[in-house]
Amino acid sequence: MKSTPVALGFVILAVVFLVVAALYALGVLQIFASTSGPHIKHAILFAVLAVASLIAANFTREKVV
Amino acid sequence: MNLGQALFMGLLQGATELFPVSSLGHAVLIPSLLHWSFKQSDPSFLPFLVLLHLGTAGALLFIYRTEWVAIIRGFFAAAFRGRIESPPERLAMLLMVGTIPAAILGVFLETRIKSLFASPYVAAGFLVVNGLLMLGFEQLRRHAERRAALESKPRVEQEENFAEAERITFRAAALVGACQALAFVPGISRSGVTIGGGLLAGLRHQEAARFSFLLATPVILAAGVLEVPQLFSGGVPVGEYIAGAVLSGAAAYVSARFLLRYFRSGRLDPYGWYCVAAGLVSLGLLALHL
Repeated sequence: MKSTPVALGFVILAVVFLVVAALYALGVLQIFASTSGPHIKHAILFAVLAVASLIAANFTREKVV
Repeated sequence: MNLGQALFMGLLQGATELFPVSSLGHAVLIPSLLHWSFKQSDPSFLPFLVLLHLGTAGALLFIYRTEWVAIIRGFFAAAFRGRIESPPERLAMLLMVGTIPAAILGVFLETRIKSLFASPYVAAGFLVVNGLLMLGFEQLRRHAERRAALESKPRVEQEENFAEAERITFRAAALVGACQALAFVPGISRSGVTIGGGLLAGLRHQEAARFSFLLATPVILAAGVLEVPQLFSGGVPVGEYIAGAVLSGAAAYVSARFLLRYFRSGRLDPYGWYCVAAGLVSLGLLALHL
């Protein structure tokens, strides 16, 4: 599925994931966390999801030949 | 934990991590049946588990070292190009798609599920369930073989009619990856459910095992590496733990080699029957307090 809006959606999702990753790393976000403080595992997971979203965006964008 | 126990646990973990018989189930059950005093829930046990997993991941990385180089190259090439052009690139993307659900469920649910079910009775019960699952996967495969009129052919020929790991769909890869989360329940085997998932997706047994082992490597490695700081906490008997980890890696290497050869024509049935029997015997022994 090649579509600019879908690719844009994935880029926005990547930005959201990066923000969530930063919030977990700083210990600001505590959702789904069993202890208080920074949550490195959660931060790494969301950083990986951000990268995956960017890859998905690259796959779905319309290529200029 | 003494050296003998550490070596035994290393051997047990390395062998059962890749065999479809649940390493966690065995790690919960056997110390309990042997009346060993150490507790798996004890914080000092975590560094040991970390090292055992790193041993297993190291063995898998060694076995698939050339394949991993191709997969990593393929991953970057496809990611930057935005298009898949070769089987290693497709495999790299399939592994990414399969790893993400397992990673999400692992980070958010693993501790909760493990603590919820960390009882020898539960582990024994789910070992029986795991066995029934393995037998069920094989029954479904036999149906598929009958539909393709393969039942009278030799096993190797039957297997040739099924696909290689690179041919699995992305949706199936995500489902197989998500199935890994079932293995947080002691007694349910990660490799068992992923090999079974691969069979349902139409893979050959050997290819389902290969996909399962490749899928396991990043998850086991990441889980181990992220817990490395635990190794530097005080009171950790590093020598015993490292000896256990080395044995775990060696056992995982031998297990993986054996299973890849076995699944050229072998099925999941023997492991299914073993799990049913081991689960029932364990339930009996636990009930009788033997």
